[in-house]
Amino acid sequence: MIPGFVQTLINFVQYAFFYMIFSLPLTLSYRTTKVINFVHANFITYGAYIAIFLNGIVGNTSMVFASLSAFLIVGSIAVLNNLLVFAPLQKRGSSPAMVMISSMGLWIAYKYILYMLTDIVHFYTYKNFVSYGRITYSDIPSLSIGEVNLSQAFVAGMFTVVVIVLILYLILEKTRMGRAIRAIADNAMLAEVSGIPRSLLINLTWFICGGIVAIGGVVWTSFSGAVTPEVGDSMILQVFTTGFIGGLVSLLRTGAGALLIAFMENIGIALLNAYLGIPVSFRPFLTFVTLITTLILFPPLGAGGGLPYRFLKRRSEKCSDST
Amino acid sequence: MFGFDIVGFMISWLTLFGIYSILAITLNVESGISGITNFGKVVFYGIGAYVSAMLTTYLILMLNGVNVSEIPPYNINGVILLGELGNKNPALNIGLFLLAIILSFIVAGAIGYLLTYPILRVGPEFVGFTLLSSGELTRIFLLHYEPVGASKGLMGIPNPFGWIPDSRIRQILYLMLVLGFLALTFITMKKLVNSPLGRTLKAVRDDETAALCMGKHVPKIKATVLFIGSGFSGIAGALLSYYFTSVNPNMFAPSVTFNAWAMIILGGFGNLVGSLLGAAIITLVDRALTFIIPLLGITVISPDYLRWLIVGLLLVIVLLVNPRGLLPEKPIETPASKEMKRETGEEGG
Amino acid sequence: MTLMAASLEKPASSKKIPLNIKLIALILIPLVVGLAIGYGVAVVMMGGAAPAPKEKTVYNIGLTIPLSGELSSIGKIWEKVVSLAIEDLNNEVAACGLNVEFRLVILDDATSDETALQNVQSLHQQGIKVIVGPAASSQVKVVKTYADDNKIVIISPSSTAPTLAIPGDFIFRTVGSDAGQAKALSTLAYQEGARKLVIFFRNDEYGNAFADFLKQYFEEKGVSVSKLSYQTGLADYASEVATLASRVQSEGADGVILIAFDKDGANILSHAAESDILSNIRWFISEGPHGAGELLIAAVGRFASKVRLYGTRPLYIANPLYEDLAKRVREKFGIELGVFCEHLYDAIKLAGWAIIRAGKYDGEAIRNALVEVAKTYYGPSGWTMFDSAGDKAQQDYGVWAIVSTAEGYKFKDVGLFERGSIVFTEQAYP
Repeated sequence: MIPGFVQTLINFVQYAFFYMIFSLPLTLSYRTTKVINFVHANFITYGAYIAIFLNGIVGNTSMVFASLSAFLIVGSIAVLNNLLVFAPLQKRGSSPAMVMISSMGLWIAYKYILYMLTDIVHFYTYKNFVSYGRITYSDIPSLSIGEVNLSQAFVAGMFTVVVIVLILYLILEKTRMGRAIRAIADNAMLAEVSGIPRSLLINLTWFICGGIVAIGGVVWTSFSGAVTPEVGDSMILQVFTTGFIGGLVSLLRTGAGALLIAFMENIGIALLNAYLGIPVSFRPFLTFVTLITTLILFPPLGAGGGLPYRFLKRRSEKCSDST
Repeated sequence: MFGFDIVGFMISWLTLFGIYSILAITLNVESGISGITNFGKVVFYGIGAYVSAMLTTYLILMLNGVNVSEIPPYNINGVILLGELGNKNPALNIGLFLLAIILSFIVAGAIGYLLTYPILRVGPEFVGFTLLSSGELTRIFLLHYEPVGASKGLMGIPNPFGWIPDSRIRQILYLMLVLGFLALTFITMKKLVNSPLGRTLKAVRDDETAALCMGKHVPKIKATVLFIGSGFSGIAGALLSYYFTSVNPNMFAPSVTFNAWAMIILGGFGNLVGSLLGAAIITLVDRALTFIIPLLGITVISPDYLRWLIVGLLLVIVLLVNPRGLLPEKPIETPASKEMKRETGEEGG
Repeated sequence: MTLMAASLEKPASSKKIPLNIKLIALILIPLVVGLAIGYGVAVVMMGGAAPAPKEKTVYNIGLTIPLSGELSSIGKIWEKVVSLAIEDLNNEVAACGLNVEFRLVILDDATSDETALQNVQSLHQQGIKVIVGPAASSQVKVVKTYADDNKIVIISPSSTAPTLAIPGDFIFRTVGSDAGQAKALSTLAYQEGARKLVIFFRNDEYGNAFADFLKQYFEEKGVSVSKLSYQTGLADYASEVATLASRVQSEGADGVILIAFDKDGANILSHAAESDILSNIRWFISEGPHGAGELLIAAVGRFASKVRLYGTRPLYIANPLYEDLAKRVREKFGIELGVFCEHLYDAIKLAGWAIIRAGKYDGEAIRNALVEVAKTYYGPSGWTMFDSAGDKAQQDYGVWAIVSTAEGYKFKDVGLFERGSIVFTEQAYP
């Protein structure tokens, strides 16, 4: 047992919560809309910053209020993205790669809009918002179980994950709307033909996905010691890796992926450091190696790649056809 | 005594323009014409820079009899020695420069070639994100790797023309060198594209399955394109390392990749002259802003944020309104088709 | 995998679009080029040595600071400090009866190396020969060759990399090398009774150099240290702090030395506050986190009291000029001074006086004058004399702590490093 294990274990669970909150919506949104959405990073950042602005400008300390506002605002941003950019591009028949590039453009744009907002607010209030300290909320308790202290972020994270998983499960499995969403995910054309209002449900999916991620961002502000507009970008590697482990289609596998990545980033690196002396700064490498392994060994379902059968044969067999 | 040094402005602008254009042209051939969305441009660029930096600094010290295990080039004493020895021997400087360029091309190209396997396995959408992260990971790796100076990076890299006493002449000669390599890249790429291979690339881009059915060995084609494209990007990185005379792991910033993409989307996806245009516009605007901004006084919003916002919006708007960019893609003109045009007098083709 | 499926749709009307875009391009490009040249000409008319009203000679001092990017929180404070500095400089010069005015030309370099070089080139092309900045050592390295070639005097207020201590060039630094601070910090830790330490540092040039110096000084005193580095630029350091805790526990360490900047420092301290192991040992910090508002939240303040947190920073303690500058910045802008603000202030003052002493706006002359002026100049950062490599020769260090006051937690300077030992001037923690 490595020293300090309890803290590492708590961190592991905490991070698992965060990764689940951030990546389940990613899987859901890709599955339904087939868009690799880089603005996902901004959903996290905007969620965190809505909480920060509410705290810094108005003095709000209610996580519930912050979460609600974040949900509504970021959900609307997600829908707006779809209405203005993704849907027109997809309707025009642009390739998924082009849509991905457009989402990258939006990613850059949103990030710098946020920076500009922090500048403007700084001009009026002289407070620095480019880096903001941890927020202590007044409506979430922190528990003590025996010797173990569970912080506010832990409690909030746990609560959020349980609620979200429950709601997603109920909606997708039990309601007609959920089944309609799954139908669109499987075959959009057929779903539309059978009378399902495709664009309405796609927008709804975006709204929910963006909103959930934003709530995760709000919980993040109670956990991290310093939040900056780069927070979404620094997590995007882990969030996407988790999504890819789930193949971007299976929510269950995404959850498992979240556990795996959280494990590696906390317990895995601690073990490697204690026994092999690998510097802790190599943490992102572990995630990246997982990403590459997953992509090569288990390519995501529906990925338009894969070597054609012919080229998987031995190299000595040349292509016998003429050019 | 004061004045606007327009010659200096043109020299410094055109040098950076040359380096970025090489990136833009190769990216255009890879992504615009062959359909390999390459979001890892900065990796090849940075590796080329590091290879040339390492080669030059280590060799200059070693060839002058310095024991590099005691006084490595990233140590303060090494830096001082580099400053003294770096500009003594013109033949040595130029020779090392040429060697470094060749080596950068080979190493960067090899890595590009190796990267083709995961790219093919997974498809452009997913690999785009992977390549984007690879820059960050190379940065982390180099931050720990002692022989390249770890977090200090390498500095004092001797310029191939460092032995010329007049700095203006030095700058102009270097600019000629950069533009020379730009011309080399442009001509190579143009020849590559205006050939039967070029038609195959476009076929692969537009419909890979159809190309496969026609019997084209798609993986090998993509690997070749990535090899050449990455090799030239490595050369661009080497040119940058001599220009900055220092390299450090922070140069693996995703902003380089984003800038290159902005240049090709603005200038014209699939049009090589368009990449030059895009590179020219973006580098010129950046530079022009540094003259205009001080006149605005203390601004509420940092202008750099505005610049990046515009780049992001540009990507989105151009894709929405006219994915072609400023200059449209031209049909392929192989030597055979040119010959045919000439014979038939503008008919067919 | 259709990439350019755009070519498949709207064939008829699309033929027109490229033409229009071409037209727009044909208009745009000359416009942009014209703008650039036009403003260049405007600069010639405005910013030169052209006779201003009342026939004053105007000298321009260039400034390239990080107003965006990683160091933007410091850069924003610097922007306000320099406005005070240039005002003071002009007042002093007028009071001496000289008919000279100094103007600042400020550019943002986004904490990026390439932009820093671009800024220095642009400033030089506008005719400026003295530039204050850039902030980061990697940026200084990139501009060094251009500055040396074109004889531009560069004065950086915050670069501390040992590899830039090169004599005979045009790079000057108004801040002392971290070797001095490492000595002060190691003395502080030793004096406070720490005998087994873990150095937790940023994996960049600043952190690595600092940690190496610390190790060297501690080994001279016979104290064993173990080093643990962490990656910069991550969103959160909870797992690194957990590893730190396990290292502390497994080695039985009685203290941690943290070498960090503001954001990562705040993050690490917030997480350390939650760890039992880390809350029961001593903590010592470098100057990076000083001044950052994120450290003044209740959780970190309580943690600081519990572990009796002390940090060192470059400071001439009880320097009335420093106190005065801090007060004026507080009154005029409502903010506290950040790191290296006093070094920046002095850099601008030195630049101005060097230009005057040189008598002409020429790089070589200004450089020689700068060395002379610095020998007898005392400012908020203390004595500014340069050593042979162009770096600050005498840097004093002070000890700071996070104390609890009626208005919440605040940073306070509580001691100084004098003649090889730490002298406390007040009690920070009960």
